[in-house]
Amino acid sequence: MSYPPQPTLPWSTAGQGPVTYDAYSLPVNDNVNPYAFSVELNGSYFLQKGKMVAYYGDISFQGVGHGALDRLLGQQFNSPLHASDWVVAQGRGKMVLADRAFDLNSYDLDQGNLTVRSGNLLAFEPTLALKQSIIPGFLTLLGTGKFVAASNGPVHFMEPPVRVDPQALVGWADCPAPCHHYDHHYMQGVLGGLRRLTGLGGASGEEHQFEFVGAGQVLLQSSEALMPERSVGQVDAEPGVPGGGLPQQGYQGGHQGGGQQLPNLQVPGLGNLGDLGRRFGL
Amino acid sequence: MPFHKINGKMVEAPVQPGQRMFSQRGAMLGYRGEVSFTPNLTGGQGGVMSMIGRRVANEDTPLMTVEGRGTVLFGHGGHHVHVVDLVGDTLCVEADRLLAFDGTLQQSTLFMGSQGGVMGIVRGQVTGQGLFTTRLSGHGSVAVMAHGGVFELPITPGQPVHVDPQAYVAHRGEVTNRLSSALGWRDMIGRGSGEAFQLELSGQGTVYVQASEEKL
Amino acid sequence: MAQFRLQGSRVLAVDLAGDAVKARNGSMVAYTGQMTFKKLSGGGDGLRGMVTRRLTGEQMTVMEVQGKGTCFFAAQATEINLVRLNGETLFVEADNLLCTEAGLRTGTTFTGLNGMASGDGLFTTKVEGSGWAAVTSNGPAVILRVSQGMPLRVDPGAYVAHTGNLNRSLKSGAGWTTLMGEGGGEAVQAEFTGEGLVYVQPSEKITFGGDV
Repeated sequence: MSYPPQPTLPWSTAGQGPVTYDAYSLPVNDNVNPYAFSVELNGSYFLQKGKMVAYYGDISFQGVGHGALDRLLGQQFNSPLHASDWVVAQGRGKMVLADRAFDLNSYDLDQGNLTVRSGNLLAFEPTLALKQSIIPGFLTLLGTGKFVAASNGPVHFMEPPVRVDPQALVGWADCPAPCHHYDHHYMQGVLGGLRRLTGLGGASGEEHQFEFVGAGQVLLQSSEALMPERSVGQVDAEPGVPGGGLPQQGYQGGHQGGGQQLPNLQVPGLGNLGDLGRRFGL
Repeated sequence: MPFHKINGKMVEAPVQPGQRMFSQRGAMLGYRGEVSFTPNLTGGQGGVMSMIGRRVANEDTPLMTVEGRGTVLFGHGGHHVHVVDLVGDTLCVEADRLLAFDGTLQQSTLFMGSQGGVMGIVRGQVTGQGLFTTRLSGHGSVAVMAHGGVFELPITPGQPVHVDPQAYVAHRGEVTNRLSSALGWRDMIGRGSGEAFQLELSGQGTVYVQASEEKL
Repeated sequence: MAQFRLQGSRVLAVDLAGDAVKARNGSMVAYTGQMTFKKLSGGGDGLRGMVTRRLTGEQMTVMEVQGKGTCFFAAQATEINLVRLNGETLFVEADNLLCTEAGLRTGTTFTGLNGMASGDGLFTTKVEGSGWAAVTSNGPAVILRVSQGMPLRVDPGAYVAHTGNLNRSLKSGAGWTTLMGEGGGEAVQAEFTGEGLVYVQPSEKITFGGDV
């Protein structure tokens, strides 16, 4: 029997007092802390609704799709379904962005593309074009410029090949769009067949992943939801599975939840394997 | 196999043939290689008695067995993750907070505050604290979840530590525990969940406390 | 004297040597040594405070912690900001005040129609005197300075506290309505002018589950 190492009574490191910022000392297009991002505005910027927490200067906020800006928007927003969730900030000043105390990161694209979960995208420069991804619930940014995205916990980058839990996926860059992967063993045999039919019976919760192959980067977060429902072994309608468990109303229905988090709707009965074909519009 | 902490909310664990691991269902974030995840209806080892223990404790923490060859990333619900490496000693942790642990570890269920006998159990039920914990012992890694991260407090003979049952995460070492009602708890009745009940831990070891009064 | 220090960013450790601090009810997560906990009614400013509290629905029940040893406080994994007061006044949303040294006076001020429109409404907790106060925020607070000619506008849901000689007024900026879509329907922003510091949290109250 060996005893565990004994921690000493913890002491905090000597604090050097809180840092205060003003309009001049706020960072220029950089993080203030891991959870707040400061934008120096001189022109226009696209923001998801309600993500601006404070600003200095002369800035106005316009809903996307409100008259005067429509021409600009026509070029940037190829995603009419999401337009109602966005505003345009215009003017000069510094503004601080934040989202539910999630970690924020900025990404610089140089003639690149990055696809990100719609609820995670916070803001982007108008030099970037926003398009709806073919994967429901995801948005693709194209071109050159900077954007800001939120994640639950720091973003972890992984190179393919890798399989990820749908909830943990923040987005991906460059690599081909993901495929769905179902655990082989899980679907085999009598029990597997039964599970497939009923969607019931001990599910590990991990029989379904997104699989990435090829060259690129995959962005992972700890989880999408802060306090999700605990899984009780049902396979259907996992949060984070685009359209998972939702009755499909045509393919355009891919956008849900006002661009915030995907709703966690539960449709009991059929497992999520049953509507596989329809879900992908195959 | 030691767990490697990637950031505050994610751990990476290597999986090798013949060395299985258990994790909470739905806690896998991503993996490389060929790894299978099998639902574990009996809730790990421990057999029927353990099942009954769980039933009594109203504990429903579905586990899954992780086997194969590769590396797996674990995380859950955006909670902070803390890794404890056991070196032959014992860790007691609330089952809900177990994210993943080595299959080599022995597990059993115990009731915190059992020194209080029946009254202790009643108290546990009354307060809704559900202080049934899983006891893990042996050599291996355990990943534990906590709301807002954990801090460690040493427990030394003659210097007990009192913990809010809702902020209690886990403890290790030769530690006895007792649910006590705080002095002057009548004064606290106003809010129901003031500091009416406290968990007193004494002996030799460490207690892990989270930065929140929110149970997982 | 009570010694305030941070244990990580989300836990407040207070070393007590027989003296007392006031803390939000139920916020103790652990302690070593001997401690007694006593509920204080009304948050320490008598009947008037209680009445205003009743009116505002503020649930700032406060306890007094006294003893020898170290007491650890935390609140829903929120970040803790230590504020050292030297005679100035701290205005803080009641939900965000975690702990104060016994020597500090706390009270409720009526901020009238200039108050924050974020549920706590027209009343704000005022902390005066000399000593340490611990303020919580969902995510580490960004401290923004307001000075002459440099007004600041803040989302009321992200406002936590302020110190100094500040005027605040509610503005219903054009276009703000469209910005605020996220439930709650507070089509307002708070403008701060004067000289002082404003504590802003990187999240909004409405979306912070529970909010006590």
